[in-house]
Amino acid sequence: MSNNQDTTPVVHKKPLKLRMWNYRGFYLMALPVFIFVLIIYYWPMLGVRYSFYSYKLRDIHFVGLDNFTQLFKEKEFWSSFRNTLIISIVKLLLNTFVAVIISIFLNEMTSMICKKFIQTVIYLPHFMSYAVVAAIFTLFLSTSSTGFVNETLKSMGIITKSIDFLHSKTMWRPIFYLINLWKETGWGTVIFFATLSGINTEQYEAASIDGATRLQRIRYITFPALSNTIIIVLILNLAKVLNIFEPVFVLYNSRVLEVSDVISTYIYRKTFLTAIPDYGYTTAVGLFKSLVGCVLMLASDIASKKVRGRGII
Amino acid sequence: MGKKQKLTLFDVINYIVFILLALIIIIPIWKVVVDSFNAVGVYKFQLWPSDPTFAGYLTIMSTAKLARPFINSVVTTIIGTLIGLIMATLGGYVLCQYEMPGRNLFSYFLLFTMIFSGGMIPEYLVMKQLGLVDNMWILVVKHGMNVYNLVLMKNFFEGIPGSLYEAAELDGCSPMKTFTSVVLPLSKAALASIGLMFAVTIWNDYSTVQIYITNPTQVNFQYQLRVMIMDGDTPTTAYKVSQNTLYYASIVCAILPFMVAYPFLQKYFVTGVNAGAVKE
Amino acid sequence: MKKKLVSLILCSVMAVGLLAGCGGGGGGAAEGGSSGSGSGSSAGFVDGQLNSINIIVDGTVTATVDAGQAEFKAQWEEAVGEKLGHPITLNITQLDHSDYSGTVSRTLTTGQPGDAGYPDALIMSATMLRQYQTTGLLWNLASAYDNAEFQSRVNFPQVNENIRTPDGAQYGFAPTYGNGCVTYIKQGWLDAAGKTIDDIKTFDDYYALLKAFTENDPDGNGAGGTYGVIAAGFGKLDEAPFINYMPEFWQGAYPSFYQKDGTWVDGFTEQATIDALARLHQAYADGIIDPDTEEAGTKQAREKFFSNDQTTSEGAFTYWAGTWLRTLSDNLVKNEVKKADGSQETLVQLPPIQEIKDTWGGYLNREAPVWVITDDGDGDDAREQAIFDALFETMLDGDKVQTLWTYGAEDVHWSTKAEEFKTNEGTENEASYTYEEGQFHLKQSPNDPNTIWKKNHLDAVLVIAPLTNGYVSDDPLVTEGNNFFLENAVDAPAAASSETLSGVEADLVSTKTQLVNMAVVGEITPEEAVAQYTEQYGDVCATILEELNSAAE
Repeated sequence: MSNNQDTTPVVHKKPLKLRMWNYRGFYLMALPVFIFVLIIYYWPMLGVRYSFYSYKLRDIHFVGLDNFTQLFKEKEFWSSFRNTLIISIVKLLLNTFVAVIISIFLNEMTSMICKKFIQTVIYLPHFMSYAVVAAIFTLFLSTSSTGFVNETLKSMGIITKSIDFLHSKTMWRPIFYLINLWKETGWGTVIFFATLSGINTEQYEAASIDGATRLQRIRYITFPALSNTIIIVLILNLAKVLNIFEPVFVLYNSRVLEVSDVISTYIYRKTFLTAIPDYGYTTAVGLFKSLVGCVLMLASDIASKKVRGRGII
Repeated sequence: MGKKQKLTLFDVINYIVFILLALIIIIPIWKVVVDSFNAVGVYKFQLWPSDPTFAGYLTIMSTAKLARPFINSVVTTIIGTLIGLIMATLGGYVLCQYEMPGRNLFSYFLLFTMIFSGGMIPEYLVMKQLGLVDNMWILVVKHGMNVYNLVLMKNFFEGIPGSLYEAAELDGCSPMKTFTSVVLPLSKAALASIGLMFAVTIWNDYSTVQIYITNPTQVNFQYQLRVMIMDGDTPTTAYKVSQNTLYYASIVCAILPFMVAYPFLQKYFVTGVNAGAVKE
Repeated sequence: MKKKLVSLILCSVMAVGLLAGCGGGGGGAAEGGSSGSGSGSSAGFVDGQLNSINIIVDGTVTATVDAGQAEFKAQWEEAVGEKLGHPITLNITQLDHSDYSGTVSRTLTTGQPGDAGYPDALIMSATMLRQYQTTGLLWNLASAYDNAEFQSRVNFPQVNENIRTPDGAQYGFAPTYGNGCVTYIKQGWLDAAGKTIDDIKTFDDYYALLKAFTENDPDGNGAGGTYGVIAAGFGKLDEAPFINYMPEFWQGAYPSFYQKDGTWVDGFTEQATIDALARLHQAYADGIIDPDTEEAGTKQAREKFFSNDQTTSEGAFTYWAGTWLRTLSDNLVKNEVKKADGSQETLVQLPPIQEIKDTWGGYLNREAPVWVITDDGDGDDAREQAIFDALFETMLDGDKVQTLWTYGAEDVHWSTKAEEFKTNEGTENEASYTYEEGQFHLKQSPNDPNTIWKKNHLDAVLVIAPLTNGYVSDDPLVTEGNNFFLENAVDAPAAASSETLSGVEADLVSTKTQLVNMAVVGEITPEEAVAQYTEQYGDVCATILEELNSAAE
């Protein structure tokens, strides 16, 4: 985005009014977008003032920073904050790591047809919604007699009693990571393939002539070529770690709140699943999340500038 | 790489691993499809339904509680994609006009929304004011304006050679005319891939419905599917259909549109992501 | 970077300023309720005439969108319009999913009287009523109720007297008696266990039976997987009387505030609760309580009970009495659930075990759910009274409109025309029905022609003022269910109502639910559960008890 704005324009000779008149058609084009954004994005920003109010049913009154003091004391909130960071970051690292491995080795595949086919297959799950993926795996992991995983394990004699995977505090997170790997890793390889297709084949040929083995070629050519992309992917996603909602929401349940509740689900539960909620308090939680998110975003922007010379925003 | 190489041990292992990987992806999907045609629930993986039936699909078509959400999904996806594309092309094209007074301000105006948001509750209150709570058009409004896609669109537009703009100007085209007769026809691929991104997002959206909609006539299919399978809220129907069959048939209906379209449109799907990640 | 940041800030300030400036209408509207907007006229109430009513209902209005709601609405509008002398529209919002109370609170928080979707009247559980009656959102309908025309026909005045607050205000209207839950047992499984229902006298008998259901392959498939009992939660801590589900395990315990010998006490901290949790935990550990119980909603629990896949089902299920005996039985038929000998599975009702009789005297009859009217806060009762007259007064008119609420729409759910029809045609459960002209009868369910329609919102047996037109459904199973309950039920203890309690009730419920769940699955001991509760809410509960006891004096 930022490539052009600092170059000093040369044609600023006509008066502003005239230039604006020349662009009148474009202002008209921008208008719907402007109004849409104003209403959908900026209007809600006014609502953050409720962070400083108590807002129960229709009783709204100013309470200053009370909501924030309550927030910082709330054990449940900090647990959700910690979970958000752990779940998001582990998921990000795992998905990226596996995507890189897959990209590298798929790149070594000699048959183009086979390569295309594998690519087509591993992209598939990305187009299923989280609701669907959660439904599929909940059915597969269920303890009923039609539960694919439990019954298969039983028939193989590995276990004797069904395991309630999604209700177990120790199993929930690993299962969550696995399901997310299944859904998103394939799609995550797209960007690495784009980079790999840009590697000069001469490099490989030169290496072959020098007697480098396949693994050495991967180690010294492919991987370094990808490292920049890996860092960019990590940086881009770092900015969004606090936003995680739907992937968790579709899989968590009251039994595993301790290990699965993230900030967004915490806000959701406190607002929508409480008999008489305090909207002021939950707005405050949301504001806190937005502010931390803002800091992360700016940090990623700076990091991105360092790495690749241009920001992400 | 282009040369014929001898098949080494490395290749063999590589093939085996990737075939396994493909199976890990395919088996669950295949099981869902097979079980949706299976009259009785079985835990085993079968290549073909052992007791074939269409009861699951017939139930979905004949039960208002399932058919209505499906239609809602189709309608909101189509309208939402159209509106999304209109907004993205308009905004993206304006952002290309670097000489336009106020262009940078407009750009910051858009980008700020990517950094800061009001949060779930203020958004809910605004949507309530707009009459969009308990209203399926919330899906169109929520996704119709996507700044990220708008920026992608702008990047596509910038890829159009400047000489074409100049030629149009020499022909006496107004900016609007240039937009409709030169830019848009050249951006078919971009429109296709960004349109697909909109469509996937809207079709697959479940959490917006969960948050904003409680009226059963306004929900989309993803939500209905979720409620049915996770909360066990199976609609009463005249058909004799096993729960499992109905569940899996619904899942198939929920993924069908993109599973069918995807192999043909893969090119467009992939372009969108690359444009987003590599050039921003 | 600096330049960019400055621009960003400028830009946001501009946008916000723009909104604040031009958005006086928009921003102000978002504040909504704070301004109190005493316009005095709701969307449906114009110039003293009520033109439309918005109602929010739960699943207890069984004439759903898929089951003839349109006809019900049309016939209601016609009948009530005729009574009032002007046309009136009924807008029904039915929330049939599990989170009714959350959705209602959202609607009431974010809307206000006069908005298009704001409810004029809605259904609330007794617990919700207590949470809302102090908020000023509900209309005090005491005098409207006292002066209602249906008063002369009321058989159970007690039901609505119980709802009144100590100072005589009444914010809800209960058209029916409360009803309660009884334990249903599958006859085929009972046979397989070699027992009859008369053998089950005590908790130990019951426990042994459940154990047999779990371990002795009652479904005869040669494998395990079955459970003793399921319910929609180990207890039902969000709604009085809290121990509706699994009453055999709770026995004399009452995990909330109740009056004991004239003094209010917190039942959750009593030894009886600890014992009950220990019993539940034992049963859970023995695998006789279906683990789905913890998460299941009512619908999920009952569907698992009568599922066509009986290999993971349960032998016992505690659920609503009366009409539900019929509904559950019909579903067993529909799903082709068979006994071991291949004949149709049936249900038998378990009389209260000795421990329940010794403590309460029988199954508990809950406090009735109520209808409430929202107050528009303009100090004038005209709109509210008009809603009362149009909705509640007609609901118990004994005639046309009450029939609509009791049985549903004419010629959709019931009819007096001569007709013949069959259900489950071509199966061994085929049943044929023949009716003469003028004979009242229920028809086939609109959404399932293989079952007979049962009732709409009001239960003919439980209603506080009976029908006067003589329409009676003579379904033997329903009659059996109702009689069984009336013989075996006692009134639940009166629920507590205090200001502090209203404020923290929601938190108490979620904490208690969580603690009960943790104790039952064995993550903590019952003693720890109670100790954690006392630690967290001991002071608050002391205040509540103080308030309750001082009000009682």
